[in-house]
Amino acid sequence: MFGFGVLKGMSVTLWYFILSYIYPKKGITTVQYPEQKKEVQERFRNFPFLVYEGTPDNMRCVACDICAKECPPKCIYIIPEKDEQGRIQKKPATFDIDFAICMNCGICEEVCPFDAIFMDHDYELSEYDRLSDLMYQRDDLLKPLEHFAKIRPTDCAVIEEKRAAKGVKGRAQTPPPAAPSSAGPAQPPVT
Amino acid sequence: MEYSDPIFVVIKKGILHFLHGFLPEWTVVIISIMLSITAIAIFGPVTMMYLTWLERKVVGRMQNRWGPNRVGIFGLLQPIADGIKMLTKEDIVPQDADKVTHFLAPVMVVIPALLVFSVIPFGRGMTAVNLNVGLLFFLAISTLTTIAIFMGSWGSRNKFSLLGGMRAVAQMVSYEIPMVMSVVPVILATGTLSTVSIVEAQLGGKWFIFTPWGFFAAIVFFLCGVAEVNRTPFDLPEGESEIIAGFHTEYSGMKFALFYMAEFMSAFAISGLTVTLFLGGWGGPVLPSWAWFLLKTYALIFIMIWFRGTLPRFRVDQLMGFAWKLLLPFTLLNIFVAALWQILPSPKNLLVSGIAEAVILVIVFFASRKDSPTKRTYIFAD
Amino acid sequence: MDVLHCLARFGFIAATLVTLAAAVMVVSLRNIFHCALALILVLLGVAATYISLKAEFFAVIQILLYVGAIMTLVIFAIMLTSKIADTTVPQTNRQSLVSFAILAMFDVFFIGSVIKTSWKVNAVTMAANVDAKVLGMAFMNEYVFPFEIISVVLIVALVGAIILGRSDQ
Repeated sequence: MFGFGVLKGMSVTLWYFILSYIYPKKGITTVQYPEQKKEVQERFRNFPFLVYEGTPDNMRCVACDICAKECPPKCIYIIPEKDEQGRIQKKPATFDIDFAICMNCGICEEVCPFDAIFMDHDYELSEYDRLSDLMYQRDDLLKPLEHFAKIRPTDCAVIEEKRAAKGVKGRAQTPPPAAPSSAGPAQPPVT
Repeated sequence: MEYSDPIFVVIKKGILHFLHGFLPEWTVVIISIMLSITAIAIFGPVTMMYLTWLERKVVGRMQNRWGPNRVGIFGLLQPIADGIKMLTKEDIVPQDADKVTHFLAPVMVVIPALLVFSVIPFGRGMTAVNLNVGLLFFLAISTLTTIAIFMGSWGSRNKFSLLGGMRAVAQMVSYEIPMVMSVVPVILATGTLSTVSIVEAQLGGKWFIFTPWGFFAAIVFFLCGVAEVNRTPFDLPEGESEIIAGFHTEYSGMKFALFYMAEFMSAFAISGLTVTLFLGGWGGPVLPSWAWFLLKTYALIFIMIWFRGTLPRFRVDQLMGFAWKLLLPFTLLNIFVAALWQILPSPKNLLVSGIAEAVILVIVFFASRKDSPTKRTYIFAD
Repeated sequence: MDVLHCLARFGFIAATLVTLAAAVMVVSLRNIFHCALALILVLLGVAATYISLKAEFFAVIQILLYVGAIMTLVIFAIMLTSKIADTTVPQTNRQSLVSFAILAMFDVFFIGSVIKTSWKVNAVTMAANVDAKVLGMAFMNEYVFPFEIISVVLIVALVGAIILGRSDQ
């Protein structure tokens, strides 16, 4: 009848009003940030981080530069480490990611053949200075494998299982390649 | 408990008595007027500030969220933060705007909103000015708001403002007529136009809302009052997202704060007048008179905020049709029922007027029902 | 109490001066919307005059009808017919000085005759207490015929407005 739609609508809002007082858990759905934070999904991706096993020296990244080449806005800058004779070590000396440019696409994680870079869940990354504070260096990006297992348990379990099945050893177990002799490449004997 | 009822009257009398000792007579009269004005001038804007707080909290709770609760406990300092924001905003005046009109419009909107507080009886003996045409004074001064809205929309030199202003004025003028007509039965029943006498005629539980004509007259008066202050669902003139902001598009900072203040003070005044005319004013058993008045007024304001949280906006043709086709005939017929109530003797009048009211309701509803559209038939190509 | 009477008279004189100044502004301002606003001020000043003559019912009815309804109509007419950026026209022409002189002479005679007349005041009407109730009774008892004629005139005006405003079909 005329006017009853209005009354029905108004009774709904009145019920929600009363519910918000007598049973707030169901009546009010606000998350009081920053005291309460909403849990993120496991597959949430925000900013990359580098994985190490055990000690920070033991990082999985070998500075192959694939993620820097695949990155769409080209925000990764890698310089591999060189020892005192200029030979390239399989480790990055510089691994810069600029957060102002990074678009959180996750392509670097997908293309890494060494399972070294993954997307983190941390979203509270505001800084006051745009140019200097948003550049993340290698040491800021290193996080332990346990952190990866904590934030993404199923992905971590799958990846570790694949690595174990293929017999991939980490950096600690692989002996460094033998230092070549100070002489140049072997000369064929002169006869 | 009986000492807290006339407490404000006693305070004022005490101050005047104290001043009477060493000031001449005429100064005491002027100071007495100034005290009432000061009380209203403090009460009005503070009410408005905390009405904005109340609205945000209540609408928030109806929408499954807290209202503001960061600034001060329960968000009670939020209006002060809003006030500081409005005061420190840059005052932008459009380049080709009519400067005098643009400047005077917010001022002229606040003047009627504050003036009508002077005839509302806040408690026993607590009316600022006891005019013997108080009710008509209220209705006449609220029509000055129309002119101010015109000025605001014209002075902004903006087509959307002009359109919003014309719609606002059309709406306000259309809803004034049912408003005045629905008050006529009250005047019929009490024989006086003074708000204080109307409240005194309703003491002892004989509120007008309990009579058949009074019940519907109160509903109509309240709805017309909501339309007069441009609140949802009648807020087409200032609907955000409909017409940018209607007649107060080009106002920023303190001028917008004045428009906002006038809207809330008018809302309080209309609720106060409905309480005075139909709900028994300050009458009530245990609590002091001003506490009853505030309780009833805030109950009506809660209903206004409840409307805001629930209902969508009227379209402009629906708005005008509602006023002219539904409310106006209904109020005119209501006057007849009120006359029947007055004339017939006591037990018979309830029955006769109740039946007459029901008949009128049925006739008016059926006359204003639109034909339901026929069900559509679709013809598809095969 | 003498001071209060003086203050009341001062208020009445101030209200009258404002009314006169606004009346001059109505005919001399360049922007027509400002003229309408000045007319509103004139009508409010007339209401103040009614209050000082102890006819508060008339004052309130004056505000309700004149300012609330008739001025709204006038402003609607202005808004619908003039553009929002109309060029403002001067309100006087070359003959303003001559007309002012003639008007001043007429005023001297008129105001002189008004002041010199002894306006007889009827004791009965001075003592009568006219308020809304007495007016209503008069409308229904002695002046019922003019009342009904006024209602007929209003209906004729309404019907005429509807017919004039209808689109030709």
